[in-house]
Amino acid sequence: MKCVGVDVGGTFTDLILMDDEKGTVFTHKVPSTPRDPSVGTLNGLLELCKTADVQPSEISLFFHGTTEATNIVIEHRGAKTGMITTKGFRDIVYIGRQKRYLTYSVQIDPPWQKHPLVLRRYRLPVTERIGADGKVLVPLDEEEVAEAIRKLKKEKVVSIAVCFLNSYINPVHEDRVQRLIAEIYPEAYVSLSHGIINQYREYERFNTTCLNAYIGPVVAKYIKNLKQALRSRGVEAELLLMQSSGGTASTAWAVEKPVTLLTSGPAAGLIAGTKFGQLAGFENIITLDVGGTSADIGVSPRGVMRYKYLLDTKIRGYHAMLPTLDVDTIGAGGGSVAHVEQGVYKVGPRSAGAKPGPACYGLGGVEPTVTDAHIVAGRLNPDYMLGGRVKVYPQRSKKVFEEKVCHVLGLKLEEAVLGAIRIVNHNMTLAMEMNSIGRGYDPRDFALVAFGGAGPLHACEIARELAIPHIVVPPLPGITSAIGLLLADVSYDYSMTIMQASKGLDPEKLEEHFTELEEKAYQRLRGDGFADDKISIHRIAECRYRGQSYELRVPLHTAGAAEETLKNLVQEFHRTHHREYGVSFPEREIEIVHIHVLGVGKTSPFVWKRIERGTEKPDSALKAERKVLFEVDGEPQWVQTPCYERGDLRAGNVVKGPAIVEQPDSTTLIDFGYKAEVDDYGNLIIKAESEEH
Amino acid sequence: MKNHSKIDPVTLRVLGGAFDTIAKEMALHQYRMAHCTLVTESEDLGCGLFMPDGRQIAESGNSPLHCGSIGGYIRGVLKKLEGDIQEGDVIAHNNPYMGASHTPDVGIIIPIFHEDRLIGFAGSTSHWVDIGGSQPGINLDALDMWAEGIIFSGAKLYEAGKRNEQLWEFIWNNVRTPHENRGDCLAQIAACQFGKRRFLELVRRYGYETVMAAAERWMDYAEEALRLRVKAVPPGAYFAEGWLDDDGKNRGKRLRVATKVIVSEDGGLTVDLTGSASETETGFNCPFYGATCVGVYAAVRSIFLDEYTLEEPVPQNEGIFRAVRVVAPLGSMFNPRFPKGTFARLTQIQRVADNILKALAPVLPEPMRSAGTSAHIHWLSYSGFRPDTGDYWVHLEPEAGGSFGGRHGRDGSDATAVLCTNTRNVPIEHMEKMFPLRCERYELRDEPPAAGRWRSGLGIVRVNRVLAPTIVSCEGDRHFDPPWGVLGGKQGRPGSLTKIGRGGKREPWPSKFTGWRLEAGEALEIKTPVGGGYGDPYQRDPQKVLDDVLDGYISLETAKSDYGVVINPQTMQVDTKASEKLRKSFKFSKQ
Repeated sequence: MKCVGVDVGGTFTDLILMDDEKGTVFTHKVPSTPRDPSVGTLNGLLELCKTADVQPSEISLFFHGTTEATNIVIEHRGAKTGMITTKGFRDIVYIGRQKRYLTYSVQIDPPWQKHPLVLRRYRLPVTERIGADGKVLVPLDEEEVAEAIRKLKKEKVVSIAVCFLNSYINPVHEDRVQRLIAEIYPEAYVSLSHGIINQYREYERFNTTCLNAYIGPVVAKYIKNLKQALRSRGVEAELLLMQSSGGTASTAWAVEKPVTLLTSGPAAGLIAGTKFGQLAGFENIITLDVGGTSADIGVSPRGVMRYKYLLDTKIRGYHAMLPTLDVDTIGAGGGSVAHVEQGVYKVGPRSAGAKPGPACYGLGGVEPTVTDAHIVAGRLNPDYMLGGRVKVYPQRSKKVFEEKVCHVLGLKLEEAVLGAIRIVNHNMTLAMEMNSIGRGYDPRDFALVAFGGAGPLHACEIARELAIPHIVVPPLPGITSAIGLLLADVSYDYSMTIMQASKGLDPEKLEEHFTELEEKAYQRLRGDGFADDKISIHRIAECRYRGQSYELRVPLHTAGAAEETLKNLVQEFHRTHHREYGVSFPEREIEIVHIHVLGVGKTSPFVWKRIERGTEKPDSALKAERKVLFEVDGEPQWVQTPCYERGDLRAGNVVKGPAIVEQPDSTTLIDFGYKAEVDDYGNLIIKAESEEH
Repeated sequence: MKNHSKIDPVTLRVLGGAFDTIAKEMALHQYRMAHCTLVTESEDLGCGLFMPDGRQIAESGNSPLHCGSIGGYIRGVLKKLEGDIQEGDVIAHNNPYMGASHTPDVGIIIPIFHEDRLIGFAGSTSHWVDIGGSQPGINLDALDMWAEGIIFSGAKLYEAGKRNEQLWEFIWNNVRTPHENRGDCLAQIAACQFGKRRFLELVRRYGYETVMAAAERWMDYAEEALRLRVKAVPPGAYFAEGWLDDDGKNRGKRLRVATKVIVSEDGGLTVDLTGSASETETGFNCPFYGATCVGVYAAVRSIFLDEYTLEEPVPQNEGIFRAVRVVAPLGSMFNPRFPKGTFARLTQIQRVADNILKALAPVLPEPMRSAGTSAHIHWLSYSGFRPDTGDYWVHLEPEAGGSFGGRHGRDGSDATAVLCTNTRNVPIEHMEKMFPLRCERYELRDEPPAAGRWRSGLGIVRVNRVLAPTIVSCEGDRHFDPPWGVLGGKQGRPGSLTKIGRGGKREPWPSKFTGWRLEAGEALEIKTPVGGGYGDPYQRDPQKVLDDVLDGYISLETAKSDYGVVINPQTMQVDTKASEKLRKSFKFSKQ
């Protein structure tokens, strides 16, 4: 089977084509076309097909990751959206949680008020009320609803969110409104709160629903465009879209629930990083994906990816309460600006972005960036950026560092650039600590998988800071996220809030709830064309001690009697709590707040071809030597450093630091005291030399 | 500490970042694992790292009064224990006359030792949902500090690593919500232990001298940043006053808050509260160190180092405090004498903070200026007994969602916590599931915002109906003295509390009461104040006036009368010509 993965980013579109029968892999990188992303996607795909000598019609699966959904939110270009909500609660999404997201501020203007997803004039309250126990307290006034729908139609609102209090426990009124919309205004795009995320907490559920409504029509159009463009060139492949949860979804699902696509990019990176870490033989993995403006950090203990706490899943301040892989994004990348504030040396979070970009690109950048630091330090090869496709002016990097840092702080150029690198490394280290040590994982038990254009440049120093013993640099660091797309199975998450103490819980009833959700998952996956033997079902409970608000996800093992399952669940919760926080309270009652069913449809097996074996000596890959700046005994020092071509390395080659390994999409720095071994899959496995003695 | 200014800039940035991250991580641990909604949903807590003398190195930034006060707790503990502090101690403290912010904010302090030397503290505070005393939850009308609940004065829960089991049990036997409190206390201990471990890792890695030097320099940096910005204001003395409703007992007796802000040449500030009301006979007083000073620090920081407008984050630590001096005469509401009750101190502090804004409004640079904010809180406690188990239930809702005044270039935010408060609301679906309460309304107030070129935000209206007999208490204020407008902006609107009987009969309630009763089926309506307007309303962009009409903030009539904007009711468009004419005639009649 031939599969394609296409990852559309802000600057570049990365493509990969994999043929699992032949075991061949082809990759491509083309500039993105933000005005109509399908143009860049299609051009890139046709070029890739040509290189691979594959007819577009031969491709059976087309995996797609896109920042489109995110960009709609960031650029405020969603649809004109309306909301029908419970009378008395018109402003739930506008008030938010009433907390300032910045503690010390008088001038604050929260994004959800500055750019409301739904203007107040289109938030229309109607008479109805469901009680906390699910009973109808006030029946739905259908006349009011009809009037509200007509008003929205008249105002040319194209998308409607329907959000009622306590609908998570009884959706009858939301369902009824949906039918009325279908009668009165069938063209409208409709999002029901219980349908988007069937969990309690009205603000988060309503806001997630409004986000869905806001981006829905635009994403739908994007998908339709892309599909048409592909079909017009003979691509008949099934289109699957990456979700924030790390699973892919059919276009039908993506059109219904586009809010699930919001942070798909970082999710794909974590999946790919985890996979290459596992291929390299490691169990516990930390991923580091460093690009131009940001660094994504994820942790997979025993290869299991974690999910964010539901109260932490936000996009630019807008809450999206959905299962989201726990990837922490910080403002640290090649474009991060080095600057001085009152004598304190800082790097980032401000970024020079793609335009003007680092000073060395000569596109108008006048501030020193991390990329400029690497150029000055000789770590990046100015003649080999993107394989030589990008022109670089090293003198400009030097000039901006001298002007903006050296003169201000009285530092030597060498101190200034190494300092900038150290600071940005430290920012990444702190984020990594929060995600590892901060959650009870010891980095010494982990391998750091570093990718993205810049990740492999920073990996050694970060690993040293955190005492991480091994680093893995995947074969194609610059397009690792696109590979992640190919790795993801199709998956759909169904959830409901049950909010019950474990003690009073009837195991049979719990079983019933799970079965109900499983039916939905099966139905959806069968509808996508998955045979039952390709479908697997996972049960998850989100639990907490009574009074807590941050639930922990606990997987359920379903073998055995229902009572046994429940008992295991409780024990597993105490253990999870202990690992997360260092304590547990076995005497305390636990609450099962939400249950989830994750339905997974297995796509194609992932085959990564082994590379040719060579000897220990990497000499055939040696292409040059140059002076590179290192810190030796606390002092900056220029060191004559060998430089290798990644594509010419063979399995078994050992590269001793200091060394540079270059490839068109990335550069790896092997520091003093480290050595890299090439494994059979082409991974560079870097470790401290002293480890063997 | 000598030579600390010589630490290299890279190491400084590295360690400074680490301090701030550790403090934030401590708080994350604490509120994720705590057991009562006031902490887990509302985030009414704070954490930080401290020097051996109690100076703050870094804080978690959750709730300003929590974070800023912990150093005072530590100073109180140091004084009380006179140096009897050892490795493995876990110290509880809430004595408001020894640095605590108020009795329900219980501090947990853990000393950090390195090579047998005390090198710092990890500290946490958390608002315990109940600490005993004469009333559940909120206890405003308290005779003295003992009436408020258990007092910990440097009490060692653990001594040299060993738990004092009798003290431990004693505590839980003397509060109404022992399970929640114990969980919260353990969360605090875990957070502090985490902070301690991480701080020691830094010391091992970078060396004691370097870490301590970085801490000193980090504080200097914050202080310099503040002074630099304060210098934008001409040196001199500026004054503002405001009036609080009453002390919760002597109804109708308004209490003055006098605030003189003295700006000196070196960028330092003195805030002098002389002339403010005397200490009250209820618990409506502010502990000087734990509340009055901290509130002033938070206000000054928020005005001059506003995180929203700063290009670069500036850390919050002792350096900020050092540039600010606070004066309040002993025996006044802002510096009461032992053992006066101090349970309720937030609304007074809010007014001090707001007065600082008001005093400085004429001289602040435009990007820092604002009209008056709601500067309030309506802290409500609902409680009763569970019919099945007979246990107490206590629900606290810090009704902090007030409103900002208009700012230069932007309208005031609606329904947002202002100044020294910053708690989250409790989800209605959570409240209804857990307690015999039903919310019938929670949205922006119906009355129009205060007019201005940049108008105020709107406060909140909430109606909660009780489904079982309920004891209600409230710590609130600002039912009389409305928020102020600036530069021609109109004044705002006070808040109110109204009891709604089963038949719908409305009965105004005061802003402060303790242990009042609601019968099943009765309801309480809470309205939070509306901030003031900024600038001449006739200069407001007519398009924005139209938006406000369309969004239901103001009526067509108000658009015309308050803003001089004529809107055609058929087309719902601005009639530009008619508006210009109207605005001109207004100007003329004003002259």
